[in-house]
Amino acid sequence: MTILRARGVVKSYGLTPALRGVTIDVAEGEIVAVTGPSGCGKSTLLHCLAGILRPDAGEVLYGEHRLDTWSEKMRARLRRTEFGVLFQFGQLVAELTAAENVALPLLLAGTGRREARTAAVQWLDRLGVADVADTRPGEMSGGQQQRCATARALVAEPRVLFADEPTGSLDSRTSEQLLGELVRVVRDQRTTVVLITHDATVAGYADREVALRDGELDPSGLGLTAIQGRHKR
Amino acid sequence: MKPSSLLRLALAGSRTDGLRVALTAVSAALATLVILAALTVIAIPELGDRVNNERYVNALLDEPGLRGGTAITLILLTIPILALAGQCARLGAPARDRRLAGFRLAGASPGQALLIAIAETGVAALLGSGAGTAVYFAARPLLDLPGPDGRLPLPTDVLPSPVAITVILVALPLVAALAAAALLRRVVIGPLGVVRQARRTRPPLPWPGALILLGLIGTGSVLPIWRWYEARQSQPPDWLIVPIAFGGALCAILGVILGTGWISYTTGRLLHRFGRRPSVLLAARRLTTDPWHGGRTFAALLACVIVGAGAACMRGYFQIMRNLELAEMVDDSGRFVPSTDNFYLATMNLVDLAIVVALVIAAGGLLVAVGEGIVSRRRAYAALVASGVPRGVLARSILWQALAPVVPSVVLALVVGTQLVGPTIGDEVQNYNRSAPYVLPLDTIATYGVLAVAAVAAAVGVGLLFLRGSTAVEELRTG
Repeated sequence: MTILRARGVVKSYGLTPALRGVTIDVAEGEIVAVTGPSGCGKSTLLHCLAGILRPDAGEVLYGEHRLDTWSEKMRARLRRTEFGVLFQFGQLVAELTAAENVALPLLLAGTGRREARTAAVQWLDRLGVADVADTRPGEMSGGQQQRCATARALVAEPRVLFADEPTGSLDSRTSEQLLGELVRVVRDQRTTVVLITHDATVAGYADREVALRDGELDPSGLGLTAIQGRHKR
Repeated sequence: MKPSSLLRLALAGSRTDGLRVALTAVSAALATLVILAALTVIAIPELGDRVNNERYVNALLDEPGLRGGTAITLILLTIPILALAGQCARLGAPARDRRLAGFRLAGASPGQALLIAIAETGVAALLGSGAGTAVYFAARPLLDLPGPDGRLPLPTDVLPSPVAITVILVALPLVAALAAAALLRRVVIGPLGVVRQARRTRPPLPWPGALILLGLIGTGSVLPIWRWYEARQSQPPDWLIVPIAFGGALCAILGVILGTGWISYTTGRLLHRFGRRPSVLLAARRLTTDPWHGGRTFAALLACVIVGAGAACMRGYFQIMRNLELAEMVDDSGRFVPSTDNFYLATMNLVDLAIVVALVIAAGGLLVAVGEGIVSRRRAYAALVASGVPRGVLARSILWQALAPVVPSVVLALVVGTQLVGPTIGDEVQNYNRSAPYVLPLDTIATYGVLAVAAVAAAVGVGLLFLRGSTAVEELRTG
């Protein structure tokens, strides 16, 4: 069953086109890697699919709902309740502890503090960083920070997780560990994942790869995994 | 490094760096103007003890006994201006840090990188003090407007000595550069970035309360000392009274400003303990993580509130004096010509105006601090908004962070300001052989508190305009 659809999505920044009519479908529970060189429109596509940006033309559907026609307030509520978003770096609030950072989406949804903290610590535990629950981001390693960010993106048990280069700032070993844990968790939860990457190893964790080039689907159909071989899982 | 290279590197930077230099220069220009105005008042020639010059409209300039106070009031105005300069120096700090790290990567020594950072502030202050001096000289002929009796509204007929003007022109940039060096003393500029050595690991303690107490005891002892000397038909010497009064006031003001750290931390802890909403939690954590933020940003504002509360007490005193005078005029109309003019109350109007101007300047510094805080956290904010956190939650957290510590701090400042002046007045006011009990003008005192909190709320409100731009999705692009 298709959970996300983009139909002829066009998006420009001023006079610079970023997407030139991209059409993709994402099935429920699927992990899709969007790959391509720098500036090909990967992040813009993710932002359009997640309702962070509104496309200039085309449609974005979440189930049967046209996200591109929704107000920012409605899209923000959707991102808070149904979607999880994970970025390369900088998303943790420096002054909050890891547990508080992870609990934030639950608190916003009205969950009590004690309950939210318990859930947050459980998620930190699932991602192997329960020991830093009371530590602030500035005192954590990059890998620990990214695990916390992953826990925060997943704590509200979203139906879709959008991850923009989630391991881009990590070394290859930490990156593989995090991806292994992420894939295990999202498979357990049956969470759909849209993953942006320019790394073949990362793309190898996905069920399917969509390659972009100059704001369009790559007509050759040859993504990173086709060129470099799929990662063994 | 040649001076020309130093100048080029000091002033090379982004638009934010340019804005920081411009605001620092504006602050220096304002400070120069205020100091030159004070020096001009001091330059009015003394014709003898208690002999008026009969050249100026306002007695504050004409009476030798009042000129010192006028000059001190003007110099006090530099406090919020310098606080504004301090806030401006923090503007765009992360980008400046990256630029300095870039110099180190290109081969600059740590000392050279530090020199560039100090030179930026020094050069900006030099430009500002030069501009301030130019404005001073340009404004003098325009303000030289003698009345029909030949009296001047401002002392445009006298000039500070050329030596004094030169000293100001040189000293202000020098002080600014030294202050920049002091601020950077814990900063290590490396090729990979700037590291700030952590200063405090322990939470702030309430020891500034002792400073406040000491200050209040000092100023509270002025009246008993005075009475002791009076009982012996003499007056206390200036060397005794002036240090006790001014030292006490300074001690108490310092105590309030430093006490903001403890107040912020305690407020943060209370909010964290009892707050339920995410915005409150965010604000609480920021307050406990950096409790000195309040002390840095509200220092000038709190100083204004203390002075304002003290001025309100004085106004209350003069108002009772005036009431007694008017009562005497009514009862003894044969001896008095009723007059609506009252020098002391008119002077208090000027003092109030100066305090409001200082409050506005302090609010300007606060606005810079709020804007800077938002811009420096833009990536985390943008990520939160992208995750669906409403901007309203972030806006409320910023408002909580500002108002939660400021309300108790302002209340403390009002109490301290009142206690600094109130005891020196006593319980009774006497005039023309009449007396009346002294009643604190609580409404005027409260007005200063409301004004200060309103100034903070307004500054935060304007600062929040930066929030939308700082949470734009472009902040999340990985490059």
